Amino acid sequence: MTTLVLDNGAYTAKIGYSHEKVSVLPNCQFRSKTLRLKTYTANQLDEIKDPSGLFYILPFQKGYLVNWDVQRKVWDHLFGKEMFKVDFADTSIVITEPYFNFTSIQESMNEILFEEYQFQAALRINAGSLSGHRYFQENNSELCCIVVDSGFSFTHIIPYCRGRKMKDGICRINVGGKLLTNHLKEIISYRMTQFISYDRLKGEENMVMKDYVLPDFSSIKKGFCKPREEMNFTGKYKTGEQILRLTNERFAVPEMLFHPADIGIQEMGIPEALVNSINKMPEEMQPHFYNNIVLTGGNTLFPGFRDRVYKEVRALAPTEFEVSVVQPQNPICYAWEGGKLLAENPDFEEMVVTRDDYEENGHFICEEKFDI
Amino acid sequence: CKTSREMRSQDPSQRRVLDNATRQRRLTRQLEALEKDNFQDDPHASLPQLVKRLPQFDENNESGKRRKKTRGDHFKQRFRKNFQALLEEEDLSVSEGPNYLTACAEPSKLPQRHFCAVCGFPSNYTCVSCGARYCCVRCLGTHHETRCLKWTV
Repeated sequence: MTTLVLDNGAYTAKIGYSHEKVSVLPNCQFRSKTLRLKTYTANQLDEIKDPSGLFYILPFQKGYLVNWDVQRKVWDHLFGKEMFKVDFADTSIVITEPYFNFTSIQESMNEILFEEYQFQAALRINAGSLSGHRYFQENNSELCCIVVDSGFSFTHIIPYCRGRKMKDGICRINVGGKLLTNHLKEIISYRMTQFISYDRLKGEENMVMKDYVLPDFSSIKKGFCKPREEMNFTGKYKTGEQILRLTNERFAVPEMLFHPADIGIQEMGIPEALVNSINKMPEEMQPHFYNNIVLTGGNTLFPGFRDRVYKEVRALAPTEFEVSVVQPQNPICYAWEGGKLLAENPDFEEMVVTRDDYEENGHFICEEKFDI
Repeated sequence: CKTSREMRSQDPSQRRVLDNATRQRRLTRQLEALEKDNFQDDPHASLPQLVKRLPQFDENNESGKRRKKTRGDHFKQRFRKNFQALLEEEDLSVSEGPNYLTACAEPSKLPQRHFCAVCGFPSNYTCVSCGARYCCVRCLGTHHETRCLKWTV
């Protein structure tokens, strides 16, 4: 019996069989404004010839699965002949859910997995629990760890002790990749139309300033940064490319993860929320949490992220405790790798709910067994 | 190019001043706009669906298709609620223990930093009319020309 591991995120879905490699695919549908009635799903994005007039249809809203139409279509495509060719009667599935998922969504997912797709067995779990499992697998002397999961919709801080999540310590910051992108979009569209040359350092001395070449979909398919040697500091560029000049936006936008108040969101940033979360835990466990901070999720890929989190947490933590912040090599797929390890675990059979169990007992058994 | 005197002298009786409550409302609406999931409603949804249904001569095939279709419709009616409706359904105010609402991060203990709305550098001053921040008189001039109270949020 094979196991399919699916980390169902709001932006990308990380999917793969537990004995194979993981694929990262967009979890949405695309439609073109120009070509009608042709819908592309997930990875079919590469097939589109004219990417300039696209718009997205996302199944997630604010981090929770609300649009089952679109999600089912994406899953149909992923489980079908072109992608993973799933044989439902012989496959169990490990699928991730957001923290504190609503009961109606959980019930819908049960129904869809067991009644529509008819998987043999299913395990619904939080993505952070998979990351925690993976971390404990590597460091089996550690008892506690605290996972920072910073993704598209929001950022969660989840403490784990002996493999169980501590619900009282879970903290959610409503800043995610989506907010950062929207904010950048807004300030660029305003600042680029003004002739602001307020760079405090002019021209050559300014090490932060970078020029970004915009794609025009005919000769330049994808945007890129101009290398420093080619940058023109005085006057305009002679070539006909459209240029975005970025100076303080380069660090001001990711700074919102550390200080959401910069933009008016009255919440703590990541380092403060980490310390806040740990302080809610029993005193004996606190030093263990400080020593095992794990960064996962796409937003942690900003350069220098790990060092910045370490510096800030070190400043806020009591001096007796040791602080250690770990960033895995691939933060996006870390939870998926945890799912893969879990599927190979001998206890796996007891953690899943089989289809027969579900048909006998209904939603009740899923509520009991799964710790969402 | 305007002199700094011209930029500074905005006749106070001609400018509308927003009060605190209105400023707060505008700010909240701006933040909500940032939370948009970056998707638009399907512009093709209003077009009539092109039904390309050729006559089926195979009985089994037809009954299979029909079964799939009714299932799909049933799901469509049931599972199309938006986020706000689902959150209200959960009725979290009556439950004890940690839940979605209690897990939200608390306000920061550090003082809030302010940045100029025009150039992004740290700002010390606030626009009298709309409450936006600016850092220098040049930025104030740009703000008055282009943005101040110029659109509804």
